[in-house]
Amino acid sequence: MTALSTPAALDADTGAGGGSPRRRPYRALQPSRAGTAVRAVLLFLAAVVTLFPFYAMVVLSLKPAGAIVMPDSLLPWPISTEAYERVLSAESVLRWTFNTAVYSVVSVVAVLFLASLAGYAFARKRFPGKEVMFWSFIAMIMVPYHVTLIPSFIVISEAGGVNTYWGLILPTLANAQAVFLMRQFIKSLPDELFEAAMLDGCSEWRMYVSMVLPLIKPIMATLGVFVFLWHWNDFLWPLIVGQSTDMRTLTTGLASLNAENAPLNVVLAGSVVAFVPIFMAYLVGQRYFTEGVTMTGVKG
Amino acid sequence: MTVSGIAVASRRSLRRREARVGLLFVLPVLLFFLAFRFGPALAGGVLAFTDYTIGAETSWTGLDNLRRMVDDPLFWRALRTTLVYSVLAVPLSILAALGMALLVRRSFRGVRLFRSIFFLPVVTSLVLAGIVFTWIFSQGGPWSSLLGAVGLPDRSWLSDTALVVPALVIVAVWTRFGFGMLILLARLQDIPRELEEAALTDGAGAWHRFRYIVLPELRPALFFLAVIETTVSFQVFDTVYVMTGGGPAQSSYMLVFQLYDQAFRYFDFGYASAIGLALFVMTLVVALIQRLTLGRDR
Repeated sequence: MTALSTPAALDADTGAGGGSPRRRPYRALQPSRAGTAVRAVLLFLAAVVTLFPFYAMVVLSLKPAGAIVMPDSLLPWPISTEAYERVLSAESVLRWTFNTAVYSVVSVVAVLFLASLAGYAFARKRFPGKEVMFWSFIAMIMVPYHVTLIPSFIVISEAGGVNTYWGLILPTLANAQAVFLMRQFIKSLPDELFEAAMLDGCSEWRMYVSMVLPLIKPIMATLGVFVFLWHWNDFLWPLIVGQSTDMRTLTTGLASLNAENAPLNVVLAGSVVAFVPIFMAYLVGQRYFTEGVTMTGVKG
Repeated sequence: MTVSGIAVASRRSLRRREARVGLLFVLPVLLFFLAFRFGPALAGGVLAFTDYTIGAETSWTGLDNLRRMVDDPLFWRALRTTLVYSVLAVPLSILAALGMALLVRRSFRGVRLFRSIFFLPVVTSLVLAGIVFTWIFSQGGPWSSLLGAVGLPDRSWLSDTALVVPALVIVAVWTRFGFGMLILLARLQDIPRELEEAALTDGAGAWHRFRYIVLPELRPALFFLAVIETTVSFQVFDTVYVMTGGGPAQSSYMLVFQLYDQAFRYFDFGYASAIGLALFVMTLVVALIQRLTLGRDR
């Protein structure tokens, strides 16, 4: 399923295959004037539909409580920061943001470290049981998350991990896709690099730190963004492991606010708080988002 | 010892060292996999045949859970709702993805901005999408106002037993089409331009070029998407939890929601595992169908 190679299609400039990608588009395949107009209208409509929920989220979060009445509520005024004052002064939302950051950042660092070690070994070392191990890792990509959900919860709960950070994080570190992508990437690096280092008599650990790590920076970035996004937006696992109010993440916390019928402007202000970090990261490193999401195939 | 004997011995020790290092580097991930993937995957199968619940004696119940599942009208209802949801959501999101990919295929001023916009929902949390769309579909919200404006009944779709699944499908299409668009876009850009230019010179219209040149090239990617999207649809949970809670009158009660309900509201882990097993079989069947269809093509 990962066999599909998908370069950063968002960045590609033309639809030309073969030849120089910067070549001027051949006139004949350019749509007629009427075609261009139709396309522009369709694109504009699609963009409006796509962006409307974001617009609604931001505009409604800036409304005073009780002022959300259609259709006036879609106008950007009057503006009130009341909801944000409530959200940002509420200890719970700050705590949820912190929890989400811990869950995401620690997992990214740990997954990258573990997967790069294993990926390096799978790509470059010969050891007994290698093929069996590797393919059984890959097979786990096929097993739906929900089949392992309950036993994982039982393990964590018996070990006293409910409402703890480690209980949240540990099970997510067994990431088959990360191992697979690391192995593929390291396998594609030129053999000479590794042979030279071997001849130098580099210790294995030094070789990993000073040679493998710098070489795999590109895949680290892509994979890191993907793992981060997955954890930041994760819902079901935090829902069952972080049960106390203090141990909720932003997604489960906001869902609970929503379920408790908190005022809409407050819930949406919280949603904006949860969305801004992802949005900023998306603006800066869009390439990594698109690569990460398409390479791994599934969104968390 | 001869010189070559030393060489053989040292090569062997190098081999052994390599094996040790390899195992050592794989070991940490392997332990996590044993504890949280391999073990649970096996246990997930085993649990389905027990009456496990936290803090009580567990006993084998054989096929009881499966029998109960077969007799459980709610399970059949959840299964049917999941299938209806998937049958609507999968083709619609792929169609939307295909349409958008074709629209942003060729370069024009601002094309990258449009691509970025269309991908934005994919990086958005489903919980946020659920919260906003709950308002969009609420009574007197934008959706019902829009329907009212064109003369359709302006009821809230989320509180209508017949319309709640279509509402969830709309959210699914909104959150998923950007992903498919990107996959298809990557394939579209691999199609040799000369092929289409030649067809154009031969007088082929836009539809013919699409039907006989573009579509065949996209087939593998479309199959790939169909499998991914079906798997994602079978596992729908976040939006159901946030937007409907399975209601009204259990009309949006789907499989993963039932699994969650059984495990974490009724603490019936055995029965929940049986539902997980059903999900697994469904996913497997879809993957198998894909294998067979693709195999036939090649």
